[in-house]
Amino acid sequence: MLSIIKLRFLRLRDEYLIIVIMTAMALGLTAIFGTSGLSIYRPTVLIINEDSSSYSEMFIEEMERDSTFKFEMSGYDEAAEIVDEGKALTAVLIDSDFGESIDRGDTPNIGILKVTDDRYIFTLERLISSISNRMLTNVRIAEITVGYLENFTDINREKTLMSIYDIAEESWRYRRPITVNREMINVDGNGGYDHLKHTMVGFSIFFSTYTLVFSIGTILSDRQYNTWQRILISPVSKASLLGGSMIASYIIGVFQVGILILGGRYLFNVDWGSSILGVILIAAAFVFTMTCFGLLLSSIVKTYSQLATVTPIVLISTAMLGGCLWPLEIINSRVLLTLANLTPHKWAVEGIKDIAMYGSGFEAAITPTLVLAGMGILFFGIGIKMLRFE
Amino acid sequence: MTFLKVRELKKHFKDVKAVNEINFEVKKGEIFGLLGPNGAGKSTTISMISTLVHPDGGDIFYKGESILKNPKPLQKKLGVVPQEIALYPTLTGYENLRFWGNVYGLNGSLLKQRIEEVSKIIGIKDRLKHQIEKYSGGMKRRLNIGAALLHEPELLIMDEPTVGIDPQSRNHILDTVLELNKKGMTIIYTSHYMEEVEYLCSRISIMDQGQIIASGSKGELVEIIKGNKRINLKFDNISDTLLGKIKEISYINNVEIISDEVAITTNNGEAIFKDIINKVSETDSSILSIDVKKPNLEEVFLHLTGKALRD
Repeated sequence: MLSIIKLRFLRLRDEYLIIVIMTAMALGLTAIFGTSGLSIYRPTVLIINEDSSSYSEMFIEEMERDSTFKFEMSGYDEAAEIVDEGKALTAVLIDSDFGESIDRGDTPNIGILKVTDDRYIFTLERLISSISNRMLTNVRIAEITVGYLENFTDINREKTLMSIYDIAEESWRYRRPITVNREMINVDGNGGYDHLKHTMVGFSIFFSTYTLVFSIGTILSDRQYNTWQRILISPVSKASLLGGSMIASYIIGVFQVGILILGGRYLFNVDWGSSILGVILIAAAFVFTMTCFGLLLSSIVKTYSQLATVTPIVLISTAMLGGCLWPLEIINSRVLLTLANLTPHKWAVEGIKDIAMYGSGFEAAITPTLVLAGMGILFFGIGIKMLRFE
Repeated sequence: MTFLKVRELKKHFKDVKAVNEINFEVKKGEIFGLLGPNGAGKSTTISMISTLVHPDGGDIFYKGESILKNPKPLQKKLGVVPQEIALYPTLTGYENLRFWGNVYGLNGSLLKQRIEEVSKIIGIKDRLKHQIEKYSGGMKRRLNIGAALLHEPELLIMDEPTVGIDPQSRNHILDTVLELNKKGMTIIYTSHYMEEVEYLCSRISIMDQGQIIASGSKGELVEIIKGNKRINLKFDNISDTLLGKIKEISYINNVEIISDEVAITTNNGEAIFKDIINKVSETDSSILSIDVKKPNLEEVFLHLTGKALRD
């Protein structure tokens, strides 16, 4: 097996350009698309305001400061229709007693119209809860302060209340009234969509697949050179021949993905999240799956040129479905989202994004890794069955 | 115990009987020839002996043990020179030899020594550092042989090793085969070049359409056509009338056009010339030359199958 691994590395001189080009493409296109900001995805959130108090206006103003979502005002019926059609992520319903609840110091009633639960809804819920809690705290601070001031002087209660409220709000924003020592358990503040990260992950996954498929595809060039047959009649077993070829491809793939992870970190300052181990685990599982997928493709086609023709078609379509080229968050079609689950790309991209973009920990790597490993074993089994050894 | 024994070996590809129940034996230390035209089944036979292709029937025994049941002992002691060049073109000659040596378990100083020895045998020592895609056809063929010699095989199978090369490289290869055999290596040599098989092999099996149609030493095979003579005639003009007239001669067994000559076989060498001259004089053609051929394997093949080896 060692002789086969050594051979594959020796023959890298035929293929090193593919690896260099694919790595450069991933980094180059990340630089172009990831940092251009031209196509930053922000899900639309509709706001239905049934309250007429100034609190609801402040609440809306606060929400609009958040860059994760694009907010639009709407009526109830119109919002229900738009959300149902999937044209907006969700609608936030501010009840008519919103202002009174704040005044009373009660948690205000805010409804969310949604079709499905996803991480954006979760982020929005956290945002709403955070703003309303802050408003309640500000109101409480203002009331206590006004109550205290009323003991000494005659003041305009309403005006003073609003004035103190504004001061409290400003303090939250800039003066950090509370200092908390923390460990980072979340990335990017609110854990929202980060276009640069998506581009980095998507392009890294996409371009590494070429290296992986063409790397294991060298078994087809062995056939073309008649060396495949010559090895088969030697004492080297079929298991060693295939095992050696796959191990070499795997090492090459891991090396390339490693360069891309490091490139993301040091060229684009990408924070890979709190569980780099989880990111590596998913990447390693993906490399395994795509090596097996390359074996499967190589067993279906007959020559290396056929592989070179088929591979771009297969890899581009699966990358498009799997969310490498654009985020799956913008896809509304259930058919496409179901198909995405059948691609290894989806599990790798979403798994890594969960950790690097949405602040999940190592546990977020377990399901994608298991699914990728399962897919890899399936591809390997079919590939071996179809591979011609004569 | 027979060194290699092939029994009732059979291989079909769909409806084509590529090899049809053939039997032969190879003795230790001999050069055994498999002679036949392209498509006769030689390469399929070789592929089955070298364990690449599994037969549909029959068995092959190496030192009394079935290689279908246990191929490993043969694989370790077998060297195969395939008909096509089976090397990595972008690697150097040295890298190719090192890889094939590794495959057969050679490493370190032993491998270095064997590469040294083999490169001397095949005569390309000074070109080992070059990528083989820059080699001439003859040099590639020699390296193709060298890759099969590194582990000092007991049995060397050479499948048409001289196809498409210059005469100088061809002679070098033939001399190498004889040299290896002198050192005790058993060789199975397949070719459709009758002269090579005649020159090298002590025993020969002639194959055609998947079957062995004759076996024996060269002398034994030529005995088959004892009394038959092959005469090649050159005319200024070959016409149907001419061929018809020649065929009228009763003791002519076969008439065939081979390039610009008419080849006839007959068992009456004495009176034939007079009859031919008489018959030709009845046509518009004139005889330019008459060449009486010495009996060889080509004649044997023609006699047995009614066609030339190169057909």
